[in-house]
Amino acid sequence: MISRADTDSTTTKATQSSDKPFVDAQDIPAFDPATALGEPGSFPYTRGVHRTMYQQRLWTMRQFAGFGSAKDTNQRFKYLLAHGTSGLSTAFDLPTLMGRDGDDPLSLGEVGRCGVAISSLADMRVLFDGIKLDEVSTSMTINAPAAILLAFYIAVADEQGVSPDKLRGTLQNDILKEFHAQNEYVFPPQPSVDLVTDTIEYCTKNMPQWNTVSISGYHIREAGSSAAEELAFTLADGMAYVEQAIKRGLDVDDFAPRLSFFFDAHNDFFEEIAKLRASRRIWARVMRDRFGAKNERSLILRMHCQTAGVTLTEQQPMNNVVRVAFQALAGVLGGTNSLHTNSMDETLALPTQDAAKLALRTQQIIAHESNVTQTVDPLGGSYFIEKLTNEIEAKARAIFDQIDAMGGVLPAIDRGYFRRAIAESAHKQQKQLDAGETKIVGVTDFKEDRAPGIDILQITQKTEDDQVARLKKLKKDRDQKRHTEALTRLRDDARAGKNVMPALVNASKADATVGEMMETMKSVFGAYDGGPEW
Amino acid sequence: MVTTTETKRETMSDKPKAHPPRILLAKIGLDGHDRGVKVLARSFRDAGIEVIYTGLWQTCEATMLAALQEDVDIVGVSLLSAAHLTVMPEILRIRKELDVENIPIVLGGIVPDADQPKLKEMGVAAVFNPGSPLDEIIDALRKLTAANQKPNFSDIKSGYEKRDPRALAKLITKIQRNTDLGEFKPPAGNAKIIGVTGAPGVGKSSFIAKLGRRLRDKGNKVGVVAIDPSSPITGGALLGDRLRMMAGTPDTDFFVRSLSSGGAHGALAPHCIDVIAAMDGFGFDYIVVETVGAGQSDVAIRDLVDKTVLLLMPDSGDAVQFSKAGIMEIASCFVLNKCDLAGADATQAQLVGAIGDDRPVFRVSTIRDEGVDAVAEWVASS
Repeated sequence: MISRADTDSTTTKATQSSDKPFVDAQDIPAFDPATALGEPGSFPYTRGVHRTMYQQRLWTMRQFAGFGSAKDTNQRFKYLLAHGTSGLSTAFDLPTLMGRDGDDPLSLGEVGRCGVAISSLADMRVLFDGIKLDEVSTSMTINAPAAILLAFYIAVADEQGVSPDKLRGTLQNDILKEFHAQNEYVFPPQPSVDLVTDTIEYCTKNMPQWNTVSISGYHIREAGSSAAEELAFTLADGMAYVEQAIKRGLDVDDFAPRLSFFFDAHNDFFEEIAKLRASRRIWARVMRDRFGAKNERSLILRMHCQTAGVTLTEQQPMNNVVRVAFQALAGVLGGTNSLHTNSMDETLALPTQDAAKLALRTQQIIAHESNVTQTVDPLGGSYFIEKLTNEIEAKARAIFDQIDAMGGVLPAIDRGYFRRAIAESAHKQQKQLDAGETKIVGVTDFKEDRAPGIDILQITQKTEDDQVARLKKLKKDRDQKRHTEALTRLRDDARAGKNVMPALVNASKADATVGEMMETMKSVFGAYDGGPEW
Repeated sequence: MVTTTETKRETMSDKPKAHPPRILLAKIGLDGHDRGVKVLARSFRDAGIEVIYTGLWQTCEATMLAALQEDVDIVGVSLLSAAHLTVMPEILRIRKELDVENIPIVLGGIVPDADQPKLKEMGVAAVFNPGSPLDEIIDALRKLTAANQKPNFSDIKSGYEKRDPRALAKLITKIQRNTDLGEFKPPAGNAKIIGVTGAPGVGKSSFIAKLGRRLRDKGNKVGVVAIDPSSPITGGALLGDRLRMMAGTPDTDFFVRSLSSGGAHGALAPHCIDVIAAMDGFGFDYIVVETVGAGQSDVAIRDLVDKTVLLLMPDSGDAVQFSKAGIMEIASCFVLNKCDLAGADATQAQLVGAIGDDRPVFRVSTIRDEGVDAVAEWVASS
């Protein structure tokens, strides 16, 4: 058994001993700004990926949305587009995320609850009805069935006369973090990664404007990891995708510019800023030195951040507004390219319209009133920030060494390394809380009697009933012969180890459902039962 | 077919020791947010509780059937998907149907204030919200366990004779806790008893799930005894083997019981042989015994079973040396699991070289569900 590196989340906390309650030059003895930082927009991009950063262009305020039926969300999309949004961000419901149809027994009570229900091309057609796909950029938060949803998108575009090379958007498509943390995996690790590689290969050749994978630390952190683990596991996953794509025969500079990252903006203010700065520096060096990337766009790490849902409390929910503001500010000072701020009511339900608006206003106040956008990386050169950035990078590198010693990310998954590390960190944080070593305002301290609850969003059962009825009709009315042939071709291509994207687009057009395509691939790839747990 | 050992049992007059609560923690539905349930599982173990975690994506029916077979004191349901008003009535309905209404059901997760009285009214024993202090939760669990009605032994005996699985579950608990059973002895049965052993992480539980399913499909009644380590200090345990055996339709003739090793040697559990005898007398056709992750010298399983299956995986040379002594020596057959991974051919060649006789070697991938049929046939025919 390989022991874990010292990745204790408490060791990088913004605390100093009482002997020396500050950081100074002695704490960063070999600090050389030219090599450690460079200028903003130049190697190793510690200070930011653009020379001017927010002076010329603010971060993208991308708020995630989706609920109910395809029609409900389509109306919401049109409302957003009419009010100046150019980027759509789609949240899918749990059955879709798990690659199951709305009429699957395990979908009971879940259809349309936490996002939009999409079971077939017919639903996708409704979702984008009246929206020209060459005029918008669409982000889809989907993982195990990502290739299928991409196929639906390509097929809808085709019906609109839009060719794949005109499509812009992002697929989350990061299956590795599902094995570590979020648990929305279906196939075993290797075929899952092969499927991601299929999408990378397909997009590199046919959809040059499409962001293929949004490599995510967010879910790892929310599941309980430390900041250093979040950073290290995410970048290790990124390296794994790069390795697989190179193995497939792709040139690193052809696909790497289309990889992006997604981090958590958590509570420990300076540690979070240091984490984001360190992520860019590590990635630039890894891409140059380990993978020989030459294109500058392969070296820069573009990121989206979201404030930490796990820190929000049900007790005294208004306090969440303040938490989100500080976390968002950490994301901005860390140089994020895109940001989602959580709504104060998210511990209870999907956000109400008012709560979602307040979350967006929080970003706007940071952007337009605080003046923090006026200079790039304002904390660069701070003894404390540079020390933290160095420390978190060192911890991440120690974790990379452990993963390498196990033979890489996939063998480490097989050993249960990531899940165990994350669960142990989560357990440690709980123990600190129980021992009174950490505090949560309104929960452990400054408690109040329970106040009457705030208004929350309710979703009705009707969405599910309608979706089940629509699926029944689709399955009855479709061209059965074409449908069978399309699934047979999908199975054969999967068996032969071919890129399954063309067969998925074909099956989408033959009205195969998400559940049917997943089952077909499961018959070839197998199903995963979660790997070692404790 | 087994013979029980003569063990000295505590007599009825001995002061009964407070036993650690046994709790089943379940996540129901498609939601995969398991941070909370896993933190609790660890904290409960540290507090001396035996925890059976059934993993993700469970149905209400499978959960309650597991609670019956495991004879737990409490079922804890974790729900973060806002489906509590759909799921909890279903859980309570099945609890009634299975006639195990003595098992209290508690709920943890995001539950709006307005729903709490409704849940209590329908019969949920307690609701814990995010931020509930751990001490409070554990204290509530201990109280619920203490208040739990214990059936008397004559009811267990008559239930057992009528082949009531609830009685078997309770009898196993009594045996595990070393209770005096008086003159009671289970009748001799005809079960074929298979031991499955191997190093930690080779996939013993997943393999047993597949093997058990194959034997069930042929109409056999199958019992499984799955042993996991317990903490020598707190006595608590995280019993996670069952998690791998939850796939498929819930099935009353596939009886899985998780035991904690409780300081027993040889990768087994205390009174293991008596537990097996109780299952044998109950009328199973096959009983599969899964050891704790075993090392070179954990050979005690051999004395309890008719056949021993040793599980290995590619590149497992460092975990279990391919030496002829010890655990390699007691194996009746070898299953090379995880053959979907690289290195299977080389490991198989090494293994065949090391065995030096005609004991069979099977190649299996439980993930791909390949190769299990051959093992099932061997088990049935040998």
